[in-house]
Amino acid sequence: MMEASDLYSMREYFTKQHILLCFNGPISRSLIEEIGNALKNYLQAERAQPSAATDVFATYIEMSQNIRHYSINRGYGEQEASATVVIARDETGRYAVSAGNLVEAADGRALLARVTALAGLDKSQLKAAYKEQLHRPRSTEPHQGAGLGLLDIARRSSAPMVASLTELTGEQAFFSLRATI
Amino acid sequence: MTEEATMIIDDLCIPGTQSTPDIRTDGAAGRIFMQGDSYPENTLELFGPVISWVERYLETGDRPLTLELRLIYLNTSSIKAMMDIFDLLEVAHGKSRIVAVTWYYDSRNERVAELAGEFREDCSFPFDIQPRND
Repeated sequence: MMEASDLYSMREYFTKQHILLCFNGPISRSLIEEIGNALKNYLQAERAQPSAATDVFATYIEMSQNIRHYSINRGYGEQEASATVVIARDETGRYAVSAGNLVEAADGRALLARVTALAGLDKSQLKAAYKEQLHRPRSTEPHQGAGLGLLDIARRSSAPMVASLTELTGEQAFFSLRATI
Repeated sequence: MTEEATMIIDDLCIPGTQSTPDIRTDGAAGRIFMQGDSYPENTLELFGPVISWVERYLETGDRPLTLELRLIYLNTSSIKAMMDIFDLLEVAHGKSRIVAVTWYYDSRNERVAELAGEFREDCSFPFDIQPRND
């Protein structure tokens, strides 16, 4: 069990890592909005440029909604449908948005490959891929998403996204994604 | 008059929330207004009725349709839904229907102008992007 004094070391860690906001647990539609609202307020208080604030907010929304859509599609229960979200500033003051969730290992490997492929594209190639996806007929499934999320994040990022996969026991793995705005 | 009467479609009046825009249609004036952020989880729930409204309006009669937008941030599935609406306008424009979009944005947030600009690249009907300093 966690000791009260552990909170201090957590606080130290968060401060050292320049973490503005973090969340770990089952994530609902309304929680995504509430955290998003808190994030908007933080960015405003920090006097972030409107364009940077939009990019950070958008990245957070796309990552967390991707996780929700994935968990719903996979029919996950509340615990599996959890998300870990961290919004921080890196050593150069840029915003870093990270999110992770449990996935089927095979899906995780496919996602890793997708992120690696996107990392090799420049801004104009990313735009072309985004436009192509935008004009593709949509899926009729309500939680399929538009397939645009990762491309949108990549376009808002100032460096290629970084993804990692931690294989767990069984067929599951923890997928995490980090974007630097 | 009888022809006019058959053209009446029930207007939509969807009040905005934190994550959904205000959406209002005015069939009599041939206008649609949308204002605010749009990032609901299920976009079709929100935009489905709007897309149907536009389809029905454009199928009926030959009156112009103008979209007056003050949208700020759109998640990617809202972007997809707006593209569906612009595609309907594009088809109508191809059949010589008068359609137009005016998108107003706060000049301090260039991301909104970029978003509107990328939509405009895919449209050949009049698509105006207007900065505001208020």
